[in-house]
Amino acid sequence: MIESVLDIRNLSVSYATPRGTVQALRRINLKVPRAKVVGLVGESGCGKSTLISAVIRLMAENALVAAGEIRFLGQDMQYLSPPELRGIRGRDMSMVFQDPMTALNPVFTIGRQMVDIQYRDGVSKKAKAKRAADMLSLVGIPDAVSRLDNYPHHFSGGMCQRITIAMALLVQPKLLIADEPTTALDATLEVQIIRLLKELQADFQCAILFISHHLNVIAELCDFVGVMYAGELVEKGSVRDIFQRPAHPYTRALLECDPSVIEERTRFLPTIPGEIPSLIDLPEGCIFHDRCPKAEQVCTKTRPPEVSITEHHTALCHCLEV
Amino acid sequence: MEPLLEVDQLRVRFKTKSAVKAFFEKDDDPYIDGVMGVSFAIAPGQTYGLVGESGSGKTTVARAVMGLVPVHSGAIRYNQNNLVGLSRDRFKPFRKDIALMFQDPAGSLSPRLKIRSILAEPFRIHGMMPKNLPQEIARLLKMVNLSPSMGDLYPHQLSGGQARRVGVARALALSPKLIIADEPTAGLDVSVQGEILNLMARLQDDMGLSFLIITHNLAVVRHVSDHVAIMYLGRFLEQGPTQTVFHQMRHPYTQALLSAHASPDPDAVHHRISISGEIPGLVARPHGCEFHTRCPGVQEKCRRQFPDKAIAGSDHQYYCHYPLSVPEN
Repeated sequence: MIESVLDIRNLSVSYATPRGTVQALRRINLKVPRAKVVGLVGESGCGKSTLISAVIRLMAENALVAAGEIRFLGQDMQYLSPPELRGIRGRDMSMVFQDPMTALNPVFTIGRQMVDIQYRDGVSKKAKAKRAADMLSLVGIPDAVSRLDNYPHHFSGGMCQRITIAMALLVQPKLLIADEPTTALDATLEVQIIRLLKELQADFQCAILFISHHLNVIAELCDFVGVMYAGELVEKGSVRDIFQRPAHPYTRALLECDPSVIEERTRFLPTIPGEIPSLIDLPEGCIFHDRCPKAEQVCTKTRPPEVSITEHHTALCHCLEV
Repeated sequence: MEPLLEVDQLRVRFKTKSAVKAFFEKDDDPYIDGVMGVSFAIAPGQTYGLVGESGSGKTTVARAVMGLVPVHSGAIRYNQNNLVGLSRDRFKPFRKDIALMFQDPAGSLSPRLKIRSILAEPFRIHGMMPKNLPQEIARLLKMVNLSPSMGDLYPHQLSGGQARRVGVARALALSPKLIIADEPTAGLDVSVQGEILNLMARLQDDMGLSFLIITHNLAVVRHVSDHVAIMYLGRFLEQGPTQTVFHQMRHPYTQALLSAHASPDPDAVHHRISISGEIPGLVARPHGCEFHTRCPGVQEKCRRQFPDKAIAGSDHQYYCHYPLSVPEN
């Protein structure tokens, strides 16, 4: 059995709103094994960010964990007190955010910020600054020692994202959560950041939970992939299972939509017709049935079970061709 | 065929400091070059793609065509009429023919106006209020596959894809001939991205529109544009018919950009042409060929002088001292 750093079991999260209860996540089961990269892919509104906020316990005030457990290193995050949570965040679990420019504080030098996050370590400020500089050169920032005195606005977007990655890894976390870390960057920088994350992950042996809506980035970086749609994890498996043998109709449709996989130049690109269903009035049956090309009678009535295709490859679907 | 839009040696410069400060600092050229002499033409019914990283000057080209930034030199001709140096009033009629779709779909819609009022604004500004405005707005919404009842909503009630479609509808309001689309798919999910691009293709077929599409997404450009220009620090390093540029590229930057895309196959072997670092700032524009600081094939000459224009084939041009050889077949 693979030992898991993070083990999410049967997690359901909802938001109380004036218009009704939004069932943002429903019955999510996901494991992040030690020192592996797990990618979560899905379109806007599928619940990726809600899932991370539940894992790191930084949820909106109207959010409610309706059911399930989030086990991080064996303990259920829900039953920890705020001081205990603070002991985990930024030490065992750290995070890289989507927008590097707003993740850094504009009025402090990056050296100050990188020293401050090591507040738990009882070493001298000088030693902390040295560690910060070492980490900066590790993420590919030239002339690191002198650049510690710079402010975030002195750096470009790609550089800032390298700095936030350096800060997240400075504490040597067991789990790094990366929320769309390359979305705000150009393609040339995107591949640089992926390569960097890959190298650092191999060095530090930390597990990464990587969120993105960009399929190709997931394919290149991750070991395991979960595909989310409208609050459910519709398919999960190894990266090869998902990209080479996708089973769920949604995963297939999503892969087909990607213009970079279409070799022939086409004037009209494939799309997934229809809209994401309302998460307040959930449709009966399979969540994808009204957009699914293969939907049958049973799909409109009952929620599909989690079907195992191979040992680690499962999908929520009635009509799998196995 | 006569081009609809012709841009000739367009140059846009931005002032970096005041005249007084420049005088005391003995800076006789207090400018940076946003766009450094680009030329291209768009034929009626065609799509021209402008590709480049952030900060390469793509949006500045679009804004110059719309008369939103002052042009330093060069010409912009729309249907044989020069647009450079026109006064606000004399430019106004051309804005009916050239519409702009802004980059940020939600941010470009006023949060205080209903969709109906947003779509009525172009008519109001140009004093062309149709008698049957509600029908006209319903027609525009239908054209972009939105239901006419959406006119009663505010922008924050729309999804990203819907907001983008309202942007398309607004651009279509005055029946333009040319639409400039600034990053029409940025920030959209892949399935929605396809819908927007298909919508634009359909409108082009139905109405004979021309498009200038600005994007950093090469996968999109490959499918939608007839011609493409690869932009870097205000210059077109390579331009030509899309198929030629993608399959017979001569400039190392084009090759690097094409190889920089992540592939959806986890087992793919990447022959990445690694370009390190990032696009330099305009203030510190490198000497010689601007790309030499990141070019894998850089040589001494590249640091000294900018290459002359080289012609590789019909409409296919590039600027490089040491171009790539054309792959056989």
